[in-house]
Amino acid sequence: MTIEAERIVERFEQGGHGAFVESFDAREERMTINMGPVHPATHGVLRLLLELEGETVVRCEPIIGYLHTGMEKECEDQNWRGATTIVTRMDYLAPFFNELVYSLAVEELLECDVPPRGQYIRMLLCELNRLSSHMVWFGTQGLDMGAMSAMFYGFREREMILDFFEMVTGLRMNHQFIHPGGVWEDLPDGWDDALERILDVLPGRIAEYEDLLSYNPVFLERTKGVGVISRDEVLALAASGPIARAAGVDWDVRRDMPYDAYGELEFDVPVEDAGDVYARYQVRMVEMRESLRLLRQIADRMPDGDHKNMDPKLSPPPRPELNRSMEAVIHHFKLMTQGYTVPAGEAYRVVESPRGELGCYVVSDGGTSPYRVHVRDPSFVNLQSLPVMVEEGMIADLIASIASIDPVLGGVDR
Amino acid sequence: MPEILRLAASEWADRASSLRSEGWVATDLCGLDRLGLVGDGARFEVVVQLLHMETRRRLTVHVAAEGDPPTVPSAIGVWPAVDFPEREAYDLVGIHFDGHPNLRRIMMPDEWEGHPLRKDYGVGKVPVEFRPQPFLQIDAPGQATTSVHAAREVDHLGQPVPGDDTPARRESNWSRSGAAEGEAQE
Amino acid sequence: MGEGGLRLGGVSDAVGANFITVQLDKLVNWARKSSLWPATFGLACCAIEMMATTMPRHDLARFGMEAFRASPRQADLMIVAGRVAQKMAPVLRQIYDQMTEPKWVISMGVCASSGGVFNNYALVQGVDQIVPVDVYVPGCPPRPEMLMDGIMLLHERIKRGEYDARRVPTGA
Repeated sequence: MTIEAERIVERFEQGGHGAFVESFDAREERMTINMGPVHPATHGVLRLLLELEGETVVRCEPIIGYLHTGMEKECEDQNWRGATTIVTRMDYLAPFFNELVYSLAVEELLECDVPPRGQYIRMLLCELNRLSSHMVWFGTQGLDMGAMSAMFYGFREREMILDFFEMVTGLRMNHQFIHPGGVWEDLPDGWDDALERILDVLPGRIAEYEDLLSYNPVFLERTKGVGVISRDEVLALAASGPIARAAGVDWDVRRDMPYDAYGELEFDVPVEDAGDVYARYQVRMVEMRESLRLLRQIADRMPDGDHKNMDPKLSPPPRPELNRSMEAVIHHFKLMTQGYTVPAGEAYRVVESPRGELGCYVVSDGGTSPYRVHVRDPSFVNLQSLPVMVEEGMIADLIASIASIDPVLGGVDR
Repeated sequence: MPEILRLAASEWADRASSLRSEGWVATDLCGLDRLGLVGDGARFEVVVQLLHMETRRRLTVHVAAEGDPPTVPSAIGVWPAVDFPEREAYDLVGIHFDGHPNLRRIMMPDEWEGHPLRKDYGVGKVPVEFRPQPFLQIDAPGQATTSVHAAREVDHLGQPVPGDDTPARRESNWSRSGAAEGEAQE
Repeated sequence: MGEGGLRLGGVSDAVGANFITVQLDKLVNWARKSSLWPATFGLACCAIEMMATTMPRHDLARFGMEAFRASPRQADLMIVAGRVAQKMAPVLRQIYDQMTEPKWVISMGVCASSGGVFNNYALVQGVDQIVPVDVYVPGCPPRPEMLMDGIMLLHERIKRGEYDARRVPTGA
């Protein structure tokens, strides 16, 4: 052998396969990598700046704003009823919750009440929306971890729920249906049969989902102990919803500060201690079952009556009235052109959306359009807990953690 | 109306720590431009929403921002949850937070000028343009292409041919009666 | 496509029936339209409806399009699904530039087509200000059936070989 070859062989025998590298210092091998905003696993246009040492994430910084739509400014340009159309597009997987929280805040300023039927219809739509949002979460959680069939299963059931929404509101998404004062239209005939069909089929399907993922050894391996966040970190970072409940924080706005008629219904709130991706998975699966339980109670107890506050200064009169009464025509005209005025003041209401605490802070100057609408979106605040979950983990764990936070970038960027 | 507490910027740092030790958690923070509102006080305010889980209470704190640029001490040392919200208030309303380690724009591009949510910043509406174009009728999928009707005579590049533009020549694109009279060429 | 036409002297007609002659143009266009691979460019609410189009109820896989490629180099169709913010516009252009020819763009939803419900400082009023668009699909969000109709319109245009049409100046 030549002298060079001898030296190479000698080094190889000494150091194994790494011997060709003179020296290896982990810190010198740190890479800064950009993930997103166009990426199949970032749930929308989320950009992450990652500092990696090999496969380990050392630092993670979320960079957002790629979907900023200026919605809060746009709301100031609409009247009070028209702002619902803007607000509903924020968290686009849970449109009813956006509309509901905005309507609750405006109703607090108006000091008007919502009749019981209106409240029950709102709860019905919101619980169905929670189910459909969790199904998208289930699908994307599975898809990001490689279980593509989870996506197909979740969306299949979601289509049943979207059919119900289309029957009631006319649209599959971004409904603009819940307005200050109640809901825009009453439920159509046949709604209870449609709901019965959903309630008959879904428990079995959710059991199928659990068969698919909950006991799968690969899934367990990838989610247990991954993306852990502790109770103190959750409270410090104001992470809410399933993230908080999976870390031991027993807080659900529906139970603890109820709105609509949640105080009259019975349901349990799942709480886990582990704070990892699997705990969040379990919390959301139990939430789906609890939503079914709530829907059953709502279907049994749906009261009769008005579906919205029929004060003509607030809601347009029913169409037949317009043929009979001049006052009805005038009220209709004023409401459709100018809109109603809301007394000056401010209000902040919170609802429990599938992602956490969704709040709406409304300031009125006494006019026909909002002075300031600020929506506290849960995903915006929850994203701050992503670095805590993923640092010192692997890139694969990063993907699992993002899916378990279930961010919706429309709400994050507004 | 919510329970409201009004503070000056100088009182905020201490009050935040004492509220945290009493068990309040900051859930939200936003900026408010009071330019059109009745009442005196600073033009810019930071509105913080706090939650006390044990007693089920919410508290809204208004912190008046002083100076130019309007400045408020950052509460990030007390509640790390206000990191992103403070950056958003800086980006969109222009309130500076003293002590925030990373006060950069978050929603708008980095080189954006101005603070969009201020009351003296317009919405930025763009008037809708209707550009004159020949109306091309595309056949529905599945149908054989018979011809492409244009509302005006166009040449092979789609440019209008100078010529008479009388109403007689224009036919409705919804009627297929062009078969009888000479249709516009393809 | 013509009928079987290769006539080898002495060989029976059965062989002739197994050959198809066709113009190369038409074959290539048919192949292009039958396996359009979209690039993942779901931005907002329309992205959810785009995902629903690939799901069992509406099944985009019938058209050979269920393979959404994450890498723009492997995609030939960009469905801009959702509102395009000012910050996202350069990213959109970069992804479009990275796609290889031939490429098409469907602007899905009113926000991508014209700014939609939102006419303000933060959104690009219509994605055709940044990339040339072949088919506009209105709706907020468009139903999956509407998106499929738009895709089928595009298929017709590709079959007719019209992918150069949008490059023709129309005086706009």
